[in-house]
Amino acid sequence: MFETIQFSSLGEFFEMGGYAFNVWSVYMLFILFFFINLYFPLLKKKQIIREQKRRLVVSKESTIEISET
Amino acid sequence: MNQQATTGQAFRATLKRDLIIAYKRKNDLVNPFMFFLIVATLFPIGISPGPDRLGEIAAGVLWISALLASLLAMDNLYRSDYEDGSLEQLLLSPHPLYFLVLAKNISHWLVSGLPVVLVSPLIAYMLNLPDAAYAALFITLLLGTPVLSLLGSIGVALTVGLGSRGLILAVITLPLSVPVLIAGTLTVQETLNGASLGGYLAIMGAMLLAALTLAPLASSAALRISVN
Amino acid sequence: MWLWFSKLGSPKWFYELSGRWLPWLVIPMALLLIVGIVWALLFVPPDYQQGNTIRIMYIHVPFASISLAFFPLMAVAGTITLVWRMKLADMVAKQAAPLGAWFTALALASGSIWGSDIWGTWWIWDGRLTSMLLQFFLLIGVISLRSALEDTDAAAKACAVLSIVGCINVFVIKFSVDWWNTLHQPAGDFSLSDEAANPPEVWVPLVIMIVAIYLFFAVSLILSTRNEILQRERRAQWVQELVEGH
Repeated sequence: MFETIQFSSLGEFFEMGGYAFNVWSVYMLFILFFFINLYFPLLKKKQIIREQKRRLVVSKESTIEISET
Repeated sequence: MNQQATTGQAFRATLKRDLIIAYKRKNDLVNPFMFFLIVATLFPIGISPGPDRLGEIAAGVLWISALLASLLAMDNLYRSDYEDGSLEQLLLSPHPLYFLVLAKNISHWLVSGLPVVLVSPLIAYMLNLPDAAYAALFITLLLGTPVLSLLGSIGVALTVGLGSRGLILAVITLPLSVPVLIAGTLTVQETLNGASLGGYLAIMGAMLLAALTLAPLASSAALRISVN
Repeated sequence: MWLWFSKLGSPKWFYELSGRWLPWLVIPMALLLIVGIVWALLFVPPDYQQGNTIRIMYIHVPFASISLAFFPLMAVAGTITLVWRMKLADMVAKQAAPLGAWFTALALASGSIWGSDIWGTWWIWDGRLTSMLLQFFLLIGVISLRSALEDTDAAAKACAVLSIVGCINVFVIKFSVDWWNTLHQPAGDFSLSDEAANPPEVWVPLVIMIVAIYLFFAVSLILSTRNEILQRERRAQWVQELVEGH
């Protein structure tokens, strides 16, 4: 199954037999979607945790204030 | 008042009440009908007044106009009842909500769908629909518009509590109505191509039966969620 | 069985378990993706009819096949939400809707780019394309209903009802669009070259890509569901401890 690479040169590989636009745009779309879809949830998790930390600090300060007064 | 009404009586009472309200509010009666006429008029103006071209698209124009008219009329299906609290009373009643919702849907169709169906041959004539297609168009609209009302009712029930919901109702309801649109227009076209009406009408009838049995269930579940 | 079921419904349990699972999904996903993409781009022989555009199939087919799974998934999650009131099911359903819209959009886009060559046009009202587009609209409907309803509980149940209705409708749409399509245009002109006749060097990489993209779907869904858990359970003791630990 792995007999041959179908392209004889790098230029030919990028050309895709005249279908460079079709093939490469689909693969680019996929790779873009792939990384965005993994990156954004991770970014969001960081945001949520940062936000929660801030809230925890605020609520602790306010409870301390209440107990002092 | 210790006499319990039967479910049949409750069904009839709901139906009668909604019809009386619609009759008193003349706008509800006239607006869907007028909307249908105006939308159907826009097509010849927008596309072409040529009779041949119009004849080809007439069935689709009528079906899309009917779909839009039914969507427009949807808004007052549960809205005013929700605002004056009678919807809550409906939910509290001891009768199965299924039948009460069905009664409301039927009255809604009688008010907004049936006039459209009745006037459709006139518009079809103005759009130069081929003679052979009249019967098919009329019967498909008669079988199809109740399905549109029943499906639309689910969308309205889901969004009844929202402040502004004109667009969201359309976004939810229109894709749901696609099978009916396809069945309706196809039946008309295939009759023109010489196919016999029976098989296609059986499919539309099956759609109507499925919608009659399932859609009020979904509507009543949605109403219970929206009103609490 | 019931113990397991109620345990699975606990967001905390799912959060911890999925945290342990993730590496075992991410590693095979990455390996299969690399093998699949390299194989599809370099080693698959060009199709005798479609030439090198056949390489688009290795992205398009997996996306298209997963897209079909979203409404059944959301309908099942919706049923669980309505019947057992399991919070986790709704969290999954909530995150599945936008993910489904993206997957469907990508399936449509890749199909259209592929078709621009085979069919000579970017869009035709082909049965599969049309029902995919309508499914996309239905998903947008679910997402907009969710964002319009402010109360989380009401939104969960309303979206559950709409997902179940939508799932039934997707099947009816599929059936009716195929019917519509076969009557409007002669079928067969656009069909792919017979897949059964394809040699293993064509379908083995396709299977690899399908598995890889299914894993990718699972990983994306788990990641966003974990975020949803953190956000909704932010008042729970375990989340506060987790946040402090960071």
